[in-house]
Amino acid sequence: MLQLTPQTIRIVDFYDDGTDSRHFTFEPIGFALESPIAIGQFFMLTVPSRGLAPFTYTSFPDEQGRFNALIRKVGKLTDQLFTCKKGDLLGYNGPYGNGWPLAEINQKEVLIVAGGCGLAPVTTAIDYLIDQGRANSVTLLYASRDQESQVLKQERERWQSKINVYETLDIQGDKDHSGLPTEHLSAVLNKVDHHPDILLTCGPEAMMSNVAKMCVDLGFKSTDIWMSIERRMRCGVGLCGHCYIGSTYACKQGPTYRYDEFLALEKANTVAHLYPQYFQYC
Amino acid sequence: MLNDIYLLKDLSILNAHLAQHYSVVRLAKDTDGEVTWTEQAGATSAPLFGHANLPLTSPKAFFFPEQESLYKFDGKTFETIHPKVKPIVLFGVQACDLTAIAYQDQFFKHDPYYQTRRDSVLLVGIDCEAPCKNGFCAEVNAGPHVNSATADLILSRLKIDDRTNTSEWLIVASSEKGVDSLRDLTLEKADEGHFKLRTKLGDQVRSQFADFSYISNAIEYLNDKSIPAQLWEELSVRCLSCSGCTNLCPTCSCYSTFEVIEAEPISNTLEFETVRCWDSCLFESFQREASDHNPSHKAAQRVERFWFHKFSDEYLPEFERHGCVGCGRCEQTCPGTIGVHSVMKRIDEVCCN
Amino acid sequence: MSQTQVNSICPFCGVGCGMGLVVNDGCINAVKPLSKHPISQGKLCAKGWNTPFGISKHNRITQPLMKKEGVFEVIGWQEALTYIAQNLQKCIRESGSQSVGVISSARATNEDNYAAQKFARAVLKTNNIDHCARICHSPSVVGLKQTLGSGAMTNSIDDVAKADVILIIGADSTENHAIIGGHIMQAKLRGAKLIVVDPRQTRLAQIADLHLQLNIGSNIALLNGLLNIIFQHNWQNDDFLARRCEGTDALKKHVADYPLDKVAELTGIEGQKLVEAAKLYSQANAAFLAYGIGITQFISGTNNVIAVSNLALVCGQIGREGTGVNPLRGQNNVQGACDMGSLPNVYPDYQSAADKKVREKFSHAWNTTVAQAPGLTSLGMSNQARNGKFRGLIICGEDPIVTDPDRNKVEASMRAMDLLVVVELFMTETAKMADIVLPAASFAEKDGTFTNCERRVQLIHKAIEPPGEAKADWQILSEIAKKMGLGGLMNWQTSEQIFDEMAQLTSSFSGMTYSLLAKKNGIQWPCNAEHPKGSRWLHTTTFPIGKGKLIPVDHVPTNEQPDAYYPFWFTTTRLHYHYGCGSMTRQSPLLERETPNGLLYIHPQDALDLGLKNHQAVTVSSRRGYLETRIVLSNELVPGLLSMPYHFKEAPSNMLTNDAMDPTTEMPELKVCAVNIVPLPKNQSPCPSSISTDIEDWVIQ
Repeated sequence: MLQLTPQTIRIVDFYDDGTDSRHFTFEPIGFALESPIAIGQFFMLTVPSRGLAPFTYTSFPDEQGRFNALIRKVGKLTDQLFTCKKGDLLGYNGPYGNGWPLAEINQKEVLIVAGGCGLAPVTTAIDYLIDQGRANSVTLLYASRDQESQVLKQERERWQSKINVYETLDIQGDKDHSGLPTEHLSAVLNKVDHHPDILLTCGPEAMMSNVAKMCVDLGFKSTDIWMSIERRMRCGVGLCGHCYIGSTYACKQGPTYRYDEFLALEKANTVAHLYPQYFQYC
Repeated sequence: MLNDIYLLKDLSILNAHLAQHYSVVRLAKDTDGEVTWTEQAGATSAPLFGHANLPLTSPKAFFFPEQESLYKFDGKTFETIHPKVKPIVLFGVQACDLTAIAYQDQFFKHDPYYQTRRDSVLLVGIDCEAPCKNGFCAEVNAGPHVNSATADLILSRLKIDDRTNTSEWLIVASSEKGVDSLRDLTLEKADEGHFKLRTKLGDQVRSQFADFSYISNAIEYLNDKSIPAQLWEELSVRCLSCSGCTNLCPTCSCYSTFEVIEAEPISNTLEFETVRCWDSCLFESFQREASDHNPSHKAAQRVERFWFHKFSDEYLPEFERHGCVGCGRCEQTCPGTIGVHSVMKRIDEVCCN
Repeated sequence: MSQTQVNSICPFCGVGCGMGLVVNDGCINAVKPLSKHPISQGKLCAKGWNTPFGISKHNRITQPLMKKEGVFEVIGWQEALTYIAQNLQKCIRESGSQSVGVISSARATNEDNYAAQKFARAVLKTNNIDHCARICHSPSVVGLKQTLGSGAMTNSIDDVAKADVILIIGADSTENHAIIGGHIMQAKLRGAKLIVVDPRQTRLAQIADLHLQLNIGSNIALLNGLLNIIFQHNWQNDDFLARRCEGTDALKKHVADYPLDKVAELTGIEGQKLVEAAKLYSQANAAFLAYGIGITQFISGTNNVIAVSNLALVCGQIGREGTGVNPLRGQNNVQGACDMGSLPNVYPDYQSAADKKVREKFSHAWNTTVAQAPGLTSLGMSNQARNGKFRGLIICGEDPIVTDPDRNKVEASMRAMDLLVVVELFMTETAKMADIVLPAASFAEKDGTFTNCERRVQLIHKAIEPPGEAKADWQILSEIAKKMGLGGLMNWQTSEQIFDEMAQLTSSFSGMTYSLLAKKNGIQWPCNAEHPKGSRWLHTTTFPIGKGKLIPVDHVPTNEQPDAYYPFWFTTTRLHYHYGCGSMTRQSPLLERETPNGLLYIHPQDALDLGLKNHQAVTVSSRRGYLETRIVLSNELVPGLLSMPYHFKEAPSNMLTNDAMDPTTEMPELKVCAVNIVPLPKNQSPCPSSISTDIEDWVIQ
């Protein structure tokens, strides 16, 4: 049977990390984080009085089971979370979902395109590849609104010397560092030594869609493009129904989807989902 | 199975027998003429037949209630709130609703709340003797006769003696639970002939259904994706997002959760209880995220989604059937006249040209 | 987990759908539609389906509360009643009966409303009794009384199914009367022609054969224009006019001043469409005309109603199946609250309070003296309070702070009163202002009757006990009467006793009893010796005033129009998901989630011109007030017109609305005013304008 009742976790620490964003460290109370957490998986966080929502891990649990999560304040639940203090207790269910394709990224040159808070779900993937001694095979293109809203500052500093990092900002930055990620893709690919052959992307759906299309044009196989999709969730285990994408649930069959499969799911509907012309990084 | 078939003239004997172990819940008509599932201890009359008395609400809520407390947080730990159950027999469930329960059993296979409630219920099905007003169970393989995999006991009327106003009933114990439930009850054994008669009667009822080929056609159009987006736009103008279809649909299961805050006077603390409640994918906000991104912001997307979920072949691997069981309740409850018949007819009309 | 079902009537709008209350362990966690109900036939709208949340015991007021030094404290009933009685008596002693009054509720039962008006007239000795019909359909009551002799829907909801033309004016019925809206959509599907008159492109307008998207406030110009076309083409029903109406010639002459080009100019609708609409409506075998507050909420409200009535009379589209002049009433029991005399000028069944004989009749029946002086309307009470002449008010289940125009003025009035008692389910914005808050029983916790918009009186049944110490309105008012030494006047034990007393004193209800109502799924008034089975249609052979009156009325501009400072038209709307002040619907997590991210609707072109993006934070201001919210782009509007739903206390549209009044009924011009819109600085979120939030945490044991 599934366990819908959360387990208790404590807020160990947090620090501000980008506009309206905080990097939290949580610690399990009275339980051990079981099964190793796969890169790109998520957990359900319960904020008493406000309900539950999915968030991604930005670190693997340490010996005490402590783990990190980057959370941006966007709604009622996160508003309440941001009033919490160190030591406050919350609820935890997880780990859930399918993460990034381990077998594939172990063998391929990896391009990562992240937008805004979409950097969080790829964090463990980057750290994993660095741990595996494959830092040379990783290229990150990170897009955000402006400098203030860039998240995971410490992680990016740590990565700077190890992997190829390119950043672009919507409204600031010089010519080479402003605009949408799609405006920089070719240039980035030209700069790197090993030509990437697998894409991991996370960010606004409109951005991912544009990036995926462009990568296909640039010679990526659609079976080598993976996106992490965000959906509203009320359970995390395939029951509440909110996170449907075609006949799948993002919490079970996702949140990581292969591009060709994602397109097939979308095509099941004849009413096209039109992405907004403008999008904002979250 | 032929070992566990019996004949009975007076169903109240079975009713009384089951009442020793279960609370008996049957369809009953109230003074306004409304048919509802009602607890009735000493019922003696024959159960109401579905074809004449399909209740507007299916028994879905017995297993998956409209509101259900899941767990509470006392400031320190989260504690599961286990559902309070007692043994119930649902006496006289129609084939369509039984098919839906089997579908939900599969969907909620690992849901502890659903399964706790479900385990406490004995399902007694009843074969329908005629098509009902909006029903098309035969078209979607969900009736009119009870599929034995969906019930514990099945009641089927073989004969009516108009002169004495008595009936002869075939009772099929179609599950282990069903067989157990008849223990200590002496019943006349039925034979293969009786069973064949039941099959024959079923075929007769089947032949009385109107021509619902527009439904089968529309299912095909849905699956080969030949329905123009414009048709969904046209239909969705009439969707008021009332949630009636999803509430009454016996296979709809989407839920939301909300928090109830209760003051705990003894310890002078607050307790937070998480409750789940039926939700509807037709609400504009069903998928809307806190960031305001909404993957299904158009009504047309949501209306299409609802029918996709009921009729897409993509769900066959998991459920071995479509989500729609042909009860037709959505047709009656939809204020915008976009229930199953209206929609399928319109699809057939538009797509066959 | 024994479960029972109690059948009742939906507590939201005036359609009056059947609703089964599912009772589990003394709680209502679910409702079911009723397939046998004559109107709803197994349907409910989103509000109806979410009823359990609206009466859930969480967040309910369960004990009397008294405000002491700015915060509420729980007190006992006796203390509360004594305080109220003494202070009402003090006001009366010092300033006379005119200084006190009652605002009753269109959400409460007929019995509650009968009790409220009796309490005002016989206990307080004042005609200061009113309710929110003032701001929804008071012009219908007065206007149709003049032209037809009765202010209710002339026909039945079911008549929609019998009409071959349906004309909807100023009513967004799929959102506000969803089940009637559904009937209309169904009629359209079976081939009836649908004409929608509305400045917004409503859902019905989208499926209509003809959408007359008129300039806001040009109803009379449009209706007179149609009449002129009809007379010019000789499309009027001469036979009906000759037999049943008077004033034809004068009207014909009057509307001749509304030639096609002038009307096209005033309304913004091309002439050809007007001719088409006039032909469709006048030439139909049966044309069903329904209208909503898009007709009544204007300074010309009463004249708008008269113009509507003129159109129906001239075409003879009244008094038959499938026709009629049908005001779609807002609340579940706004019809009943009017019928019961919760209005300053009439006793139950519209018996005039100005008529000495009527006063004597009730004085005799009640065995006491009754109020003699004319009464104040709710807005009158409000105005007099700011003059210090009105001092004590009991409000049962209304939230005028959110729902009445020009909120700043309403708030000032409430503060000026010596005694404000609010009887409520929840801590509404108005309740927060009260000296005493009393816990009310919800519709599921009491017996009684509601009258829907087609005059159908329907029984509601007590399904569960009220939470804590809550009581029905009529019980509370009886207790106050007792404390004031007049308990004998309101000494009822059951709601049925109240109904029987009312039935004896009226004509329209004299043939009704609870047992008859139970048998027949409700009865439509009049139900008396003449119409023992009730009345599906009014005016079939004659009007109560003899002949129907055709009264010439003229187009008048709205009180306020856009100018350089306030360049946009502004109108108010309602959403399918919410009801009134939101006190019940906003308890539902699902309906609350449906609340849009912004509340100010704007045409994309206007947004583009102003450089605004969807959901951008803005300030909206009018000559009266200011609020902050976000915008939502909407093609339902025309450029230059902004709209806002009025349910939300965070961004109350009534901060902006105009309280300029219809001279006849004191109906404020809620439907239109002029506003300005300015974006908020980047990264600044809208600031909610709810009443001081420190009272939000009102539970003090």
